[in-house]
Amino acid sequence: MLDVRPQPALHDTVTALTQRLFHEARLLDDERFEEWLELLCEDVSYHMALKSRRFRADRSAPIAVGAGNVFNDNLARLKLRIDRLRSGFVWAEDPPNFVRRVVSNVEVLDADEPNEAVVHSVVVIHRNRIDGQTRLLTAGRTDRWRKGGESWLLAAREIALDHSVLPDSNVNVFF
Amino acid sequence: MDVADLVDTSTGRQSRSIYSSEPVYRQELERVFGRCWLFLAHISQIPQPNDFFRTYMGEDDVIVIRQKDGSVKAFLNTCTHRGNRICRADRGNARSFTCNYHGWSFAPDGALAGVPLENEAYFGELDRSKFGLVPVAQVAEYKGLIFGNFDPAAPSLEDYLGDAKFYLDVWLDALPGGTSLVGETQKMVLNTNWKLPVENVCGDGYHLGWAHAGAMMAVQSMDLSGLSVGNASANLEGGLSVAGLNGHMALTSLDGVSGYAFYPEPKPMLDYLEANRPTAIERLGKLRGEQLWGSQINITIFPNLQFLPGLNWFRVYHPKGPGQIEQWTWAMVENDMPEEIKTTILDNQCLTFGLAGLFDNDDGDNLAACTEQSRGWRTSQMDVYTNMALGRSGAREGFPGDIAAGLVSEHNQRYFYRRWQEHMQASSWSDVPAYNLNSLASREAVDA
Ligand code: FES
Ligand SMILES: [Fe+2]
Repeated sequence: MLDVRPQPALHDTVTALTQRLFHEARLLDDERFEEWLELLCEDVSYHMALKSRRFRADRSAPIAVGAGNVFNDNLARLKLRIDRLRSGFVWAEDPPNFVRRVVSNVEVLDADEPNEAVVHSVVVIHRNRIDGQTRLLTAGRTDRWRKGGESWLLAAREIALDHSVLPDSNVNVFF
Repeated sequence: MDVADLVDTSTGRQSRSIYSSEPVYRQELERVFGRCWLFLAHISQIPQPNDFFRTYMGEDDVIVIRQKDGSVKAFLNTCTHRGNRICRADRGNARSFTCNYHGWSFAPDGALAGVPLENEAYFGELDRSKFGLVPVAQVAEYKGLIFGNFDPAAPSLEDYLGDAKFYLDVWLDALPGGTSLVGETQKMVLNTNWKLPVENVCGDGYHLGWAHAGAMMAVQSMDLSGLSVGNASANLEGGLSVAGLNGHMALTSLDGVSGYAFYPEPKPMLDYLEANRPTAIERLGKLRGEQLWGSQINITIFPNLQFLPGLNWFRVYHPKGPGQIEQWTWAMVENDMPEEIKTTILDNQCLTFGLAGLFDNDDGDNLAACTEQSRGWRTSQMDVYTNMALGRSGAREGFPGDIAAGLVSEHNQRYFYRRWQEHMQASSWSDVPAYNLNSLASREAVDA
């Protein structure tokens, strides 16, 4: 049977949040990190888990202590990463890499909280690196955006990275 | 190719061709990876019968499997019929491995257990006992670490590790519960020759204050004893560069706390160290229990295993040709640690030396560029140098090895290349020298 829940959000909300994602991507492409931070809730959670390739039928016990993460960040940690990138000593970013995000497959759904929306999207990050080579990083994202006054702020982002072996020498980018 | 010309450890010189030459690389696969004890897995990663873990020995794909009787076997991950890969998963639990191509199936002990159409097409004439999975010649465990060796003539793992065990045990045997690797494998492709990350971590305290200056400025708690941001100063007291142990190395501070003082909130870690210090001293003796356990230590087991008590990461480098590796990292914990501390360690390791590690992300491009700058027609004929603090090493009371003071020196790198050259020149293990310089055992014998 067709599952009609959760409800797709109203047209205005869809437009607002889609534009929000595009705007966010442009801020990050342009390294306008301080403006990006203003799009985040104080209690933001920004997370990307590690995973492994397993047989579908595999029933082995979950890993003790947990899978571990690529990102397990709150606002303070995101600021720490930005402090590092802004230090002037991150040689891998100088000269700057050519970075462009393509955001697609945006799907906006009502959340349980009245002032929140769940937003699914896909991001492809093109990085043309200092060595002249291009790397593409692809990830799925499930966000919770919260309406604060007139604007939407990111409350949580769960990122699923689609690479079992990271094809680059660093992750000096935000997804 | 004359390996004698490629490295000169008496002056600290390496030919750049050792990072780019295809013939050198093929010889490394044979004489280094084909002969040395290579880390396969930690027992904590395959706790149950039929648990398996996939890894590499050099470029050879290997499955490590826990047996019903608790022992561990390792096999080449290739079908004995026509060579297909048997196991495609990274890890898991399986009662058998069935090949995707024609359906031969293998038991966890390697036996060929099933062959489709065995009677109809092979007329019952296939001798299954001759087509089991091919085992790794030697598999052995040292205090939770499982190693494999392709060479049946290699010395025992115990002899191979030699006096490096003095340093290894600071991590592996300080407390009765032993250790574990935790988290999924953190895998990254780096366009570097495999030797460059090893020489970086085995002895290169020199790069910390400069290559990682950005991270050191952002993460104020990361104040490595004796080093400063921007390499403005270096204090050679309080640290040791230890080598001369069959190619294994240690780079260690001596305060017994610095490894854990790195943590953003170090108090629970420091309380843990204080509470367990008497046990560590009882098991390791006063010198190691007080000065090494809890210190930041970089341990290198030749050729490609490194782990760092304190920062608590554990890593192997799998070569993929002369110019590329897969770098695999895990967090490591002592089993006696309370759960909150284990969780903190996994979290902090991912933050600092994980795939998006604030520190780790500084190293890859330097290593890749050093590799690329050894590939050109002209650059491949040039040399590079590890000639810092030549001839300034010796014995140190209570510690085995040939030891230089401080964390900033190129002493360990020279021994790494010396060992590499010894292996590359030897046609078999009988030509590989064994040395444990300033061995404590021999010193006691002299004293007696
Ligand atoms: S290659 Fe494996 S069954 Fe034929
Ligand atoms: Fe480094």
